[in-house]
Amino acid sequence: MAQEQAIPSIGPAAPEFALPHRPGVLRNVLKFIRRKPLGALGFFFVLFMIAMTLGTPKAEFGVPELPHSPLGFKLGQPWLAPYGEEQNFKNANGRLNTDAAPSTKHWLGTDGSGRDNWTRVVWGARRSMFIGLWALALATAIGTVIGVISGYFRGWFDTAVQRLLDALQSFPPLLTLILILSITPFTSQPSLLVVAFALGFVGIPQVQRIVRGVVLSTREQQYVEAARVIGATDTRTMSFYILPNIMASVIVVFSTGLGVVILAEAALAFIVPQFVPQEGASWGLDLGRAQREGVDTHTWPVIAYAGAIALAVLGFNLAGDALRDVLDPRLRVG
Amino acid sequence: MQQYIIRRMLLNGVVLLLVATMVFAALRVDSNQVVNRFAAGCFHQGEDTQQCKDVAKNLLGLDESIPKQYVDFMKNTLTLDFGKTFSEKKPVLHEITSRAAPSIELGLLQIVVALLVGVPVGVISAIRQDKWIDYILRFVAIFFLGIPVFIIAVFVILLTTRYAGGTGLDQWLGPGSDWKDIWEDPVKNLQRVTGPALVGGLGTGAVLMRFLRSQMLEVMRQDYVRTAWAKGLRERVVIVRHALKNAMIPVLTVIGLLLGAVISGNVILETQYNIPGIGFFVTSAALQGDFPVIQGIVLVVAVMLVFINLLVDIAYGWLDPRIRYS
Repeated sequence: MAQEQAIPSIGPAAPEFALPHRPGVLRNVLKFIRRKPLGALGFFFVLFMIAMTLGTPKAEFGVPELPHSPLGFKLGQPWLAPYGEEQNFKNANGRLNTDAAPSTKHWLGTDGSGRDNWTRVVWGARRSMFIGLWALALATAIGTVIGVISGYFRGWFDTAVQRLLDALQSFPPLLTLILILSITPFTSQPSLLVVAFALGFVGIPQVQRIVRGVVLSTREQQYVEAARVIGATDTRTMSFYILPNIMASVIVVFSTGLGVVILAEAALAFIVPQFVPQEGASWGLDLGRAQREGVDTHTWPVIAYAGAIALAVLGFNLAGDALRDVLDPRLRVG
Repeated sequence: MQQYIIRRMLLNGVVLLLVATMVFAALRVDSNQVVNRFAAGCFHQGEDTQQCKDVAKNLLGLDESIPKQYVDFMKNTLTLDFGKTFSEKKPVLHEITSRAAPSIELGLLQIVVALLVGVPVGVISAIRQDKWIDYILRFVAIFFLGIPVFIIAVFVILLTTRYAGGTGLDQWLGPGSDWKDIWEDPVKNLQRVTGPALVGGLGTGAVLMRFLRSQMLEVMRQDYVRTAWAKGLRERVVIVRHALKNAMIPVLTVIGLLLGAVISGNVILETQYNIPGIGFFVTSAALQGDFPVIQGIVLVVAVMLVFINLLVDIAYGWLDPRIRYS
């Protein structure tokens, strides 16, 4: 840098471009924090949760498998987890150190089996997060396709689809989930991917309703009309003119839906533990186990897992609201 | 109006038919699965697995051909015959109705709490817009909106059973052991439902409050409210008679929509607080693989929701005559 500046310029001075002042990333972030402090708090929780899921990847490739191989390669121990997932601790007497209060060794205490709560929370974050991502990927993909087609063609197809999905949507989601999971084939317990797909299926109506609403207004835009005039086919209009222009809404739906799905998974594991895999750390499962065994003895695990679920869901809600206000004010309700 | 109701009833009939067909199809996708899962439970109790399977198949009517099954299923559903439970071989409908009272009580109490809290808070927050009280109320509402109800319930149970033992608070807010119906022992019954009703009601109330606030803000800017102020009416009269009355109409539809969420939430709250209602029934049936129960509850809830929504729509038109049903 210093050398470049030292070279004297020869000839007429380069014309100075009067670029409008473009604020840097940092300044944008600061502005966002000042304007939407609660949204920024939400983003902090979300980023922290993402950080909890990260671990050193291992060179083991294969079919995606939740929770530790969500993208086809295996993730190692999370960087933020000080101990292993199932590591038990003993106290000075040689017995299991159960339900200990927080200390420097165990930041959030230990659970009923002498495992470190903070470690379990970090390991469980990966499970919640990737179930949420997989479910939402399915829900947004199918929901967007249905929403775009239904909103674009309107007519009898739209009416039929909307009535059907209205019926699905007004239905208590937890009951739908229980119904789906009680007919899905699994021997003793379903794999997490099955749970994720069931959750995603339940989310389709919500996603498609929002997407359809946006498509209904987008399809009346002049550029869509122009596309039709120059002879673009319906498929082309939908995929190259409408879809790119509703992406902001889709992103917002994705981020708000993530919180809902994470919560639904935790609630499902909490009340019907048999419908999710029993191995590994899971916020909903561990919370349910601790509550059933008695909150008065398992105070610290309850606080740790309930707090983790509460902060994660709160974070996704706040972040989603702020993101919606910034990216797509059209979706604002209430 | 009459025409509208008739048309809505027909449409609802179609919707229910679709739901029933979906439930029918759901089981037939892989019926062996359902039968096997129940048989696994038999195996653990030391009963003959093959016999269990036959019984389950028979109860679900899986021996017949698919079209015959469909006709039978629809006929039975229309006559509210949802078959017999796997576990005790009792009629599903009777098992559901005998557990309905606690659920209905809890749901109604939640709506009452939601209205009692949500309406005043929403009004205050709207008429004191952008004052400190508005900020505090909105922050509390965001808190209740953002944090799931069952987590709040966990914390309430934790605080009352661990830290409030002997103060009486634990009896009113914590999960108790035995259940008494309200006509048997009102005090004991209310002790059991206060906790879940408060927690669930506040969660619903937060949604209500946020919606009512935005409605109030809109109504307060209408001409007739300005006229009411200009006439020199007292603040209370303007707010309650002129503004709130009109702001409540859209809120009514939200209450209708919230019922689905209330039912869903009650599944969790009933399990958490050991209340022997329909929600508790469905989770225990799910644990045992008792498919007829799940199927029956799904159908009953669908019928209930459809008719509640119809009632809400009719009430909506009755309260706001400007709405034309054409």
